[in-house]
Amino acid sequence: MRCPLFVTVCGVALLSSSRPTLAQDPAPIKFETYSLPNGLSVVLAEDHASQVVEVNVWYHVGSRNEVRGRTGFAHLFEHMMFQGSANVPKAQHSALVTNAGGINNGSTTEDRTNFFETLPSNRLNLGLWLEAEHMRSLAVNKDNFENQRQAVKEERRLRVDNQPYTWALFEGSYGVYDSTTCFPYAHSVIGSMSDLDAAQTNDVLAFYKQYYVPNNATLTVVGDIAPAEAKKLVQQYFGDIPRGADPANVECTPKFNTGAVRRNVKDVNANLPAVFQVFRVPEYKSADYPALNLLSTILGGGESSRLNRSLAREKKSAAQAFTIFNPFGPRNGAGVFLAGGIVNQGVSMDTLDAQLASELAKVARDGVTDAELTKAKNAYRSSVINARQYAASVAEALQTANQFLGSPAAVNEQLARYMKVSVADITRVAATYLRPDNSLTLLVSKEGK
Amino acid sequence: MTNRTLCLVALFIPFVSVGAQYPTSPPLPAPVKPAQFPPFQEATLPNGVRLVVVENHKAPVVSISLSMAAGGIYDPTGKEGLASIVAGLLTKGGGARGADQISEAIESVGGSLFAGANLDFTTVRANALTSSAPLAFELVGDAVARPTFPDKELELLRTQTLSGLQLELSDPAAIASATFSRAVYGTGPYAKRAKPTTVQTITRDDVVAFHKARLRPSGALLVVAGDITLAKATELATRALTGWTGAPTGTVAMTPPAAHANQEILLVHRPGSVQSNIYTGGPTFLPTDAQSYPLRIASRILGGGPQSRLFLIVREQKSYAYDAHTETARPKGVGTFRAVTQVRTEVTDSALAEVLAQVRRIQSEPVPAKELDDAKNSLVGQFPLTIQTADDVAQAVTDAKLLGLPATYLQTYRTRLAAVTGPEVMAAAKRVMGPAVIVVVGDATKTYEKLKKIAPVTLLTVDGTPMSPSELEVKASAIAVDPAKLRLGVDSFDVVLTQGGQSRSVGYQRSELAKRGNDFVYTEAVSIPLAGLQQNSTITFAPSLALKEIKQNGSVQGQTLTTSLTFSGNRVKGSAMAPQAGGPKTTAVDTTFAPGTIDGSQLVAILHGMDLADGFKMTVNAFDSGSGTTETNTVRVTGRETATVPAGTFEAYRVEVAGKQTVNILVTVAAPHRIVKIMPPGAPLEIRLVK
Repeated sequence: MRCPLFVTVCGVALLSSSRPTLAQDPAPIKFETYSLPNGLSVVLAEDHASQVVEVNVWYHVGSRNEVRGRTGFAHLFEHMMFQGSANVPKAQHSALVTNAGGINNGSTTEDRTNFFETLPSNRLNLGLWLEAEHMRSLAVNKDNFENQRQAVKEERRLRVDNQPYTWALFEGSYGVYDSTTCFPYAHSVIGSMSDLDAAQTNDVLAFYKQYYVPNNATLTVVGDIAPAEAKKLVQQYFGDIPRGADPANVECTPKFNTGAVRRNVKDVNANLPAVFQVFRVPEYKSADYPALNLLSTILGGGESSRLNRSLAREKKSAAQAFTIFNPFGPRNGAGVFLAGGIVNQGVSMDTLDAQLASELAKVARDGVTDAELTKAKNAYRSSVINARQYAASVAEALQTANQFLGSPAAVNEQLARYMKVSVADITRVAATYLRPDNSLTLLVSKEGK
Repeated sequence: MTNRTLCLVALFIPFVSVGAQYPTSPPLPAPVKPAQFPPFQEATLPNGVRLVVVENHKAPVVSISLSMAAGGIYDPTGKEGLASIVAGLLTKGGGARGADQISEAIESVGGSLFAGANLDFTTVRANALTSSAPLAFELVGDAVARPTFPDKELELLRTQTLSGLQLELSDPAAIASATFSRAVYGTGPYAKRAKPTTVQTITRDDVVAFHKARLRPSGALLVVAGDITLAKATELATRALTGWTGAPTGTVAMTPPAAHANQEILLVHRPGSVQSNIYTGGPTFLPTDAQSYPLRIASRILGGGPQSRLFLIVREQKSYAYDAHTETARPKGVGTFRAVTQVRTEVTDSALAEVLAQVRRIQSEPVPAKELDDAKNSLVGQFPLTIQTADDVAQAVTDAKLLGLPATYLQTYRTRLAAVTGPEVMAAAKRVMGPAVIVVVGDATKTYEKLKKIAPVTLLTVDGTPMSPSELEVKASAIAVDPAKLRLGVDSFDVVLTQGGQSRSVGYQRSELAKRGNDFVYTEAVSIPLAGLQQNSTITFAPSLALKEIKQNGSVQGQTLTTSLTFSGNRVKGSAMAPQAGGPKTTAVDTTFAPGTIDGSQLVAILHGMDLADGFKMTVNAFDSGSGTTETNTVRVTGRETATVPAGTFEAYRVEVAGKQTVNILVTVAAPHRIVKIMPPGAPLEIRLVK
């Protein structure tokens, strides 16, 4: 976060510099930011539209911080966060939240791990206290570690190994990167079973001390709050947590355009084969990102998208055709752009593969129409407006801007970044990134060949 | 400490504690704010449509939802799937627009349009920014009042529906859910399901007739929410629905759910499944039933969320599953209750037994007061979270009205819940949690025998056809290794220990695969003096891979071990020894042996004969000669890497062999495959190919 220490009202400063607001633009998110002396960044956004409050903490650690032989740690650690702390017995974290009528969870991506509580607004104190418990006194011992190791392995069986196409999707999320030059983004978020088996309790403790420190976290509170009261509680609960060492930067030098690679993926659950074409793309803050995201919508967003029209409706080679831009969300580092389809009955994988490639080549060659671009922009605008209606998604939007664009204030600039994308930008990013020598093609079938 | 310092401390404490001291117990709730219940307005349009408007101008968005009593229960026999096909076609041609123009129109303004059918209702929904509200109304009107049902769209949707049905066969949860519904509702309307054969027979005439009979305005419910007024909504709706008249015709007789006199397990065989999906439960009651409130609380206590009994016991205590929960379906007719979990195959029977025990417990033991209060507080407290946006409120209003709940339902929901007592919870659980029906979807070769001990088992295929237990035996034996691909010869390995960044050779392994007559003989000699390990194994197996003989001798940390086993037909006899603290453990082996089972060491010998590829996965029954038991091993290619060993540098598959322990083995990508490195679990050792 780039706001100076202590209270600075970023949101207000930003308002004055914004372009004029259109009737259908979302109102800017008003918020203030400050930091505690221990380095904890705090974002407060007051909004009384509903009687709900969101407490949301992002630790700036994810699978990118993992080392060889210890993959799956960031995610395993997310699970450990619900195993109790000094004053909250095991499993009581969620119990306290649910008994208050709230919901809570956490998630892990390549770059960050988040934890949140959505509560009726009279329970703001509970949400803040529980997150402070996490940060100050996590319980890490052999028993609960073993228990969560099993839960993670089960999650992998449930969500990856036993679901059609999921393993291929995971492979697509990292398999395009070379683990020798960019290990942080060249292994799966969920990790390998053997690494999970090899993990020791001490490894977990070390991970906690290294990354779960206030100076590596951002706390965002959104909704039906009185900021003065919220600040008092934040100080009381988080103020005396000691600062830790600043985590080291992650090194990744991804190589682009290293030649087309094709792989057969065997998936016993795939009753229909599928084809995924995966391309390397730059990080979230790259100037090319909005154009790539809009291109993803033009190609695969909605029924009138190009792939759906051409492959599912006209040629009927795909049962479904889609694009997926970074399966687990934005990344600080290099990402992936997936275009794919589930092969219709009676059609060969190679046919769909060739048609998919031809659709992508067409964008690079002929560009897109003004109408297509406007449509994609309107879809983006709508998604931003819709997300502003929930305290939880406002908190996530602020955190996303902070983590991936360097400041929560960037949340109110996002729409403008997208609205200025031109047809020429779309053609250029398609030609730059969606090229065969920058791709990995996964051919998914029951037989794996 | 003197009295004086005590005084000072006493004085001092208030100063630090004001807003500063960290509480060591959960902070108490701030006072609850008075309810902020969004109002809604109602009107009836001239053609009989009931209009509800939920006004909320916070965001510049409008949502429209139009529901008609035209769900799957109205499908004619033999045409199951018709309501869904009709619903799907509503947005594929209407008024002057074809399918492409419709999706283009709504997506161009960043809106969305959807039509779908559930068991009871067909619903058309649209969302748009306020400035595009007239377009959204127009498209909803075109869908219900002026659909064109183009032939080519019917054919396309039919193809997609058939593919979708095919996809469902690969989704264990969908298989379990369909099996459960069939079991609960028997042949009643709620058991109706589209099948490939019924979807094939649907014609355009069927579609037109269904629309004419069931998609009528009289009694339809139109809920409009967001940045709009009642007057504006009435104006836009009236214009959009011009010319749409009439009332639905045709009724469906709702039959009571099927009776379940005896408890049985419906086991759906899904070969190779690494998990089992378990569904237990049965029918409930009408949505207007007064026991809806206690059932909601009972379901919450048993399986609603992360501190429910099922979650805490099945996931947290026993680590059987990633999730275990309860589900209540509340259609317009009699609904269902079910407890649901998805567990690893090996613990299927234990997990089911635990679920059944927890169901019995809530039916027979009073719920402790604190647990009851927690459940009530959570359901009452979460209400504000469910009505955050105008669209949320619209959805809640729509559900209540469609289910025929009283006008006061949403206003009194929290007080009714808060008034539920412990005995009411028990009574509701007793009435509906059964379980009348138990469904397990998983690999029956590994679960059938164990589940029989819990209740009688009926075996089914994934499409619901009964199958005989004898069919399971045959399918257990296929290990895809072509004996012609097995490479005869000797491989020598170096055993390398890495400690403190230093690697050194600490032993060797020599493996040989040879032929003796028709049989294969695999011999393996391992010597790691540092670990006190010296072992020679000889395994003889037929070209079919069927084991004939295993002989092992050697010593492990001073304990001398000898194993000798002979295999004949489905039986293995002999003795086996395994190292143990205090002396080796000898097991006399005389037991049945499932066809297709191979020895753990044999697996290494034949690994190179498998059709390895990226994504390769195979589950095999492996015999552990040390203990005389059979375990399941999963062999899978988890990735590729470049391996440099004394024999050279190779592009290799990383093959994970996971059983009781996990061994990683690198095998050359190039065929004939060759093992280049073995990484045993739990030790900083690597076995590297020398020649």
